[in-house]
Amino acid sequence: MNSFLNRRNFLKDTGKGLGGIALTSLLARDGLLASNEPIRPNIEPTKPFSARNPHFSPSAKNVIVIFCSGACSQLDTFDYKPDLIKFHGQPMPGGENLKTFQGEQGNLIKSPWNFKPRGQTGKMISDLVPQLGELADELCFIHSLTGKTNTHGPGENFMSTGYTLDGFPSMGAWVTWALGSENEELPSYVAIPDPRGTPQSSVNNWGPGFLPAAFQGTDFNATKPLRNLVRPSGVSAKTDSATRSFLQRLNEKHLEKFPGDTELAARISSYELAARMQLSVPEVSDLSTENSTTMKMYGADDVSNPIKSGFAKNCILARRLLEKGVRFVQLFNGAYQTGGEGVSNWDGHKALQQQYSKHGPVLDQPAAALIRDLKQRGLLDETLVVWCTEFGRMPTFQKGASGRDHNPDGFTAWLAGAGVKSGYSYGATDRFGWKAEQNISSVHDLHATILHLLGLNHERLTFYHNGFERRLTDVHGNVIHDVLS
Amino acid sequence: MFFVASFFTALPLCQAIDIKDHWAFRPVKRPVIIGALNPIDGLIAKKLHANGLVHSKVADRITLVRRLYLIMHGLPPTPEQVQEFIADSAPDAFSRLIEKVLASQRYGERWASHWLDLVRFGETTGFETNRERPNAWHYRDWVIDSLNIDKPYDQFIREQLVGDALGQGIGTGFLVAGPNDIVKGQDPKLGKMQRMNELDDMINATGTTFLGLTTGCARCHDHKFDPISQKDYYSMQAIFAGVSHGDRSLKLSQKIKREIQQKKAEKVRLKESLSRFIPKSGALRKPVSFTYNEEKFPAIKAKIVRFNIDRSNSSQPCIDELEIFSDKDNVALASTGAIATSSGDFIHPFHKLEHINDGLYGNSKSWIAAESTGWIQIQFPKVERIDRIEWARDREGKFSDRLAVKYRIEVALNADEWVQVSSSSDRKPFLKDNQENALYEFSGFPQKEAKKGKMMLSELKVIEKQLVDLQNQNKVYAGNFTQPKATYLLYRGDPDAKREEVSPGAISAFASLNLSRSEPEQQRRLALADWIASPDNPLTSRVLVNRLWQFHFGDGIVGTPSDFGINGMSPTHPKLLDWLSVEFMENDWSIKHIHRLILNSKTWQQSSRPNIEAMKIDASTRLLWRYPIRRLAAEAIRDSVVMMSGVLNLKSGGPGFNGFQVQMENVRHFFPKKSYGPSDWRRMIFMTKVRQEQESVFGVFDCPDASQSVPKRSRSTTPLQALNLLNSTFLMQQAEIFSYRLKRDVGSNTVAQVKHAFELCFNRSPSKSEVHSSSAFIESEGLSQFTRALFNSNEFVFVP
Repeated sequence: MNSFLNRRNFLKDTGKGLGGIALTSLLARDGLLASNEPIRPNIEPTKPFSARNPHFSPSAKNVIVIFCSGACSQLDTFDYKPDLIKFHGQPMPGGENLKTFQGEQGNLIKSPWNFKPRGQTGKMISDLVPQLGELADELCFIHSLTGKTNTHGPGENFMSTGYTLDGFPSMGAWVTWALGSENEELPSYVAIPDPRGTPQSSVNNWGPGFLPAAFQGTDFNATKPLRNLVRPSGVSAKTDSATRSFLQRLNEKHLEKFPGDTELAARISSYELAARMQLSVPEVSDLSTENSTTMKMYGADDVSNPIKSGFAKNCILARRLLEKGVRFVQLFNGAYQTGGEGVSNWDGHKALQQQYSKHGPVLDQPAAALIRDLKQRGLLDETLVVWCTEFGRMPTFQKGASGRDHNPDGFTAWLAGAGVKSGYSYGATDRFGWKAEQNISSVHDLHATILHLLGLNHERLTFYHNGFERRLTDVHGNVIHDVLS
Repeated sequence: MFFVASFFTALPLCQAIDIKDHWAFRPVKRPVIIGALNPIDGLIAKKLHANGLVHSKVADRITLVRRLYLIMHGLPPTPEQVQEFIADSAPDAFSRLIEKVLASQRYGERWASHWLDLVRFGETTGFETNRERPNAWHYRDWVIDSLNIDKPYDQFIREQLVGDALGQGIGTGFLVAGPNDIVKGQDPKLGKMQRMNELDDMINATGTTFLGLTTGCARCHDHKFDPISQKDYYSMQAIFAGVSHGDRSLKLSQKIKREIQQKKAEKVRLKESLSRFIPKSGALRKPVSFTYNEEKFPAIKAKIVRFNIDRSNSSQPCIDELEIFSDKDNVALASTGAIATSSGDFIHPFHKLEHINDGLYGNSKSWIAAESTGWIQIQFPKVERIDRIEWARDREGKFSDRLAVKYRIEVALNADEWVQVSSSSDRKPFLKDNQENALYEFSGFPQKEAKKGKMMLSELKVIEKQLVDLQNQNKVYAGNFTQPKATYLLYRGDPDAKREEVSPGAISAFASLNLSRSEPEQQRRLALADWIASPDNPLTSRVLVNRLWQFHFGDGIVGTPSDFGINGMSPTHPKLLDWLSVEFMENDWSIKHIHRLILNSKTWQQSSRPNIEAMKIDASTRLLWRYPIRRLAAEAIRDSVVMMSGVLNLKSGGPGFNGFQVQMENVRHFFPKKSYGPSDWRRMIFMTKVRQEQESVFGVFDCPDASQSVPKRSRSTTPLQALNLLNSTFLMQQAEIFSYRLKRDVGSNTVAQVKHAFELCFNRSPSKSEVHSSSAFIESEGLSQFTRALFNSNEFVFVP
């Protein structure tokens, strides 16, 4: 057995606890480790959410992921293809015998929305998302993403966890396991479901996988508060507080018999943290302190469109969480629960124009306002914004239908804020927007880049599980250096 | 898209490793142990001494009995059980208590959950649809029973791999206990990948569970560290290549067959008695049904039949199969040349136009209209003389939506002249959930007679439900087996990159199974099972005794319980591991024998109190200078809470209870329950195991989501756990019920209540100061706040 393997065993055998080994970082400092050895976070059992150092100096402190569930079409939003207009209504070369998820292809169909040049850069963006279009100079597009599956559940898993299968840790879990949070009184990782419900892969999008359960996303939104946060009805504040004090005394008395036991002490701390969260979570979720200008800017006052105003409120909540130092926020747009197949998500198989006409306005103003608001508050300097979706859609309409089928071979995501170029586009799909052609990138590359911006080396952020040093990026992924500012 | 990072190729190939170089791959031999002590204590003590440590003293008797029940049953002992043990001063009192505890049904109910975690057992499919598997529970019961009867472990293994050959069909529930993706698209590559993933799940589960080896990475390349080549991986795939997901019908027991006969006879009798309540001729036909509808009409010549749907009970209507009969022949089948057309189709892999006349029933082979009204039409290749039509929403009876409740059926010889032959207009109106009732008419009969009729009708319904349940008893989610086609090595795991054909086999560095490429399917699994469950296999026994050790002490002798490969951790006590393995095999692979050895050791019975000097040397208690205390698992906390309040329902086995409110959409959605009743107060192992979703109160206590094998749960401590135990409806209700119980048991005297509650929750009497402070608290805040605090206390939720 070579010494590389021996050293791995030595490290693992020495380690213990939530994060593994502090020793590793000592060795790393002394230059004793090979450059791809794991770096384990040093997690104090009584303070699992306290801030921890990244591997190297980061560009971004926090992340917000805006996830358009249902597979938002690149061709109707951000990936402009003149040839698709030119060859509108004609068969797609190579599409004759092609069977995608739902079957055979019809002809190439241009977007029902016009594209216009936006901002200084003149980036062509469609009229479906005009307000996001206005921000073109802030955004950094990746037009050449590729995935591994054309099914929603596995596709969402892949985008959120790096694996198509269930049961792997989500990106937010990896990040908060590594970095903790800047605010210990709020959950370090919050998933904000769409007002219409949960996405197709539901909780697996923010699950802990095999990481300690403490690092799973806590899900609540502006209308659905955190479960069990408030004291039970019928229990007065005074009684509630008396009960907690009594419990505290029971636990302290018990701890006297086990001095120095960290698990018992950690559990006592968790009740203290819970009590602080009972104050801090309602405070951060209380949008009544937002002024009317802000509400208007996000569209949270739009009574004519309750879904839009609901999503807008979630966007404001996201900003408030980031402001308070929550490390990772995942904001969902679109839900499967109240209507798959494009009814309440971006899965426009059959009636794309009709359905996207509803979804575009829900996303556009609130998401654009979020970026503007982060910028005007100076938060965009330390926050990375990621807009993504599980995969793209076909340039053709499905045979016999007026919508586009799934396409994991070329789709768009964009980044904005801390550490990334603004007004920049990276990679490209082919002339019709079907397959990635230039600077082909994988979802793993996107993940590697996000971790890099947070000061984390995606190859060294690993967790040993069932015989593998698991990573967010599996055994793949390269940082896309071109998009870094 | 299966890139392989370049560093794999830089590593030496696995075949180059001599398997004898690795401790876990060497044969298991009984180690020479010097000294008169119990070998467990001797070997633990030796390492302790080497590190300047010693065992702690034996724990007090209350701690012992409490620890024993919590570890072995996942429930605390009752005050009576504690008293009985304390009063027993015989030197073998604890050994006898161990026997009693091992003989209890509660033992299997607790320890089965360790096994179910390991084999990724779930009762839903996982992935996006997460549909239920209503017949998967049999496997859980089978595991519980196997543990309780102390089935020899080698037999337990064989039955899980090839129980169909051994008269233990339920055992193969193991093979299909994992998730499977049921969303099948049109893309042919997607289908192949899904199948590869299913087989990968079986290969991984087998390698991980029984051998403690990670095989999964050999799917794309030779294993990085262990002697598993890519070819071995595909040889194992060939072992399972004939296994598919699904229910299998097992033989019904004689007892159940007799019951079915009885119920059928009763049903006939009741139907006869009820027949006089069916209105005579001229009355309306039955209302439309989800599962079966018949349209009879005088024979007529037709070339085209059109089924017009004017209204459905919800959204776009669905028909699973339209059958049109000419005498006894269904002339609508596409296979006989009939052509289906429609007003428009809902597009979905399950729902297609061609499903209307493909001869297959059920939702997944059905047609749905594009709009809420519409038509479907069948054109025959020649003129037919037809007299009957049969149709349904879902003949499998799983769905109760999308039913055509208002319809017209027309026929034509050519598309211009339509004749209506049947419609819903002569049917009774469709009334939800009231099908059978609508058949009978009780008005017009004398009151007494009508009442009797109604009673018979409700009796009939009960019997029909019972019959369905009984007849489904033989359906078990244990997979199906067919002779597979050839298996090929796939370059980088890509199903479109076939390389050479492989024979079924295991890991070639260890053994050859000598199977041919055409080996019968069952023989393949049998050969693998024999190799795994052999005393010559160096891994099988070591892996299992290590798991048992881990569940007793929190950590295994090998800290990576499912990785005994080269990259796993080394045993802290290698001789101890081997000694236990030999003991295990020589005692007929008895799991209870290993429990006895461990439970009777000083190491297990020592105190858990920390001591400052020892903490400096070994803070994590890895060397076992004290018994390591730790928080109870989710199941044990929930079960203990419900036991305290006195409402624990000990019904063991059978279909589980639901932990969620389920929204029965195509993709299932799971919501927290809003209220709880007696059916929820069974032991948590009997809560239907839903993949991905966490039960709203206890899920956050590190419950695995059954997506992957979990050999050891994480043990986290979070504020959300605290909030759930403090504020959830479930806990508040239990705290309330517990307070009633205390009053019922000991009356309104506060001191008596405090004493009784401490005896129940902590198995000890309260100190004077505890009596004082608790009484004062109850008097000021109420008894149910006191019980709420007890449920949240560390003493209640920690193994002492």
